[in-house]
Amino acid sequence: MLLLAKIGVGFMGTILVGGAIVSSEGFIHVKVNEKQTNGTHVSFIVPAMIMPLAVRFVPRHDLRDASANMQQYMPVIDAAISGLADCADGTLVEVIDSDSHVTVVKSGGSIVVDADDPGETVHVAVPLRATKATLDEIAAANGPS
Amino acid sequence: MKTALSTLALLFAAAVVAAAPPEHYLHVKVDGKNTKELVRVNVPLSLIEKIIPAINQNQFHNGRIEVGDFHTNDVDLRAILNAVSSAPDGEFVTVQKPDCNVRVAKENGQMIIHIINKEDGEKADVTVPLAVAQALASAANDHQFNVEAAIEALDRAGERTLVTITDNDETVRVWIDSQNTSD
Repeated sequence: MLLLAKIGVGFMGTILVGGAIVSSEGFIHVKVNEKQTNGTHVSFIVPAMIMPLAVRFVPRHDLRDASANMQQYMPVIDAAISGLADCADGTLVEVIDSDSHVTVVKSGGSIVVDADDPGETVHVAVPLRATKATLDEIAAANGPS
Repeated sequence: MKTALSTLALLFAAAVVAAAPPEHYLHVKVDGKNTKELVRVNVPLSLIEKIIPAINQNQFHNGRIEVGDFHTNDVDLRAILNAVSSAPDGEFVTVQKPDCNVRVAKENGQMIIHIINKEDGEKADVTVPLAVAQALASAANDHQFNVEAAIEALDRAGERTLVTITDNDETVRVWIDSQNTSD
């Protein structure tokens, strides 16, 4: 009985620690709702930590072109992500016209894009740290394998 | 003793917070009167200050932009800006024509350009802090503008409206303040 309890505590502890590690980088949230009847509704939340890990499993030759194109922009991307991470939360861009509304907001370490038009609403939230880690992985794909 | 230390720590923290300069934001607002379009951009100047030196593309390098076709024809732009900077406030240029009015003045360390186009109903007000213009012209040669220094000078210049353009169709406003949202 005591042994079972110990195994249970170990199992729960592993799940808690694993959950904490996985969620440490935040979550990517994508939500798309098509407004027409029978329209598609997609919503998923995944740990941002898997983004750079997933890139590692992409064959390097498939990333080589993207990597080569990105190399020259990496200093700007690094500076932009670092600058965004340091600045206070707030709306960076807002575009409103007669039938659509788009916002780009920095919120709690993430960039959140919301778009609402007559056809659909889209919500995308991406943590900055995970974005940088992912882009670093892609940029590194052009190096020696 | 503990209370005294805590009070000192609190006072120190308060002093640090009070001494920290506020974050300034560059705001752009384009308001289409007839089209009902509205664009608002709010960018922290600290973000621009970090990005500008990192750009090394085409004519843009190390925070400076090459302006290949810009020739000052042996006119010392920096000397002119220094002269304007040290000149007393006043109206430098006033043009009044049936179709337009133009006014260029210096007020409180900034150049103010005011244009009214009576035919189109356009009004433009441009305010350029002289420190920003001097920083922009502070690049090593006449074919460069020092954008990095200009942005830093803009940050130091503090809250102000830089550009206001109004016509029959839309209003454009560019300004700096310490709010992270537009008005």
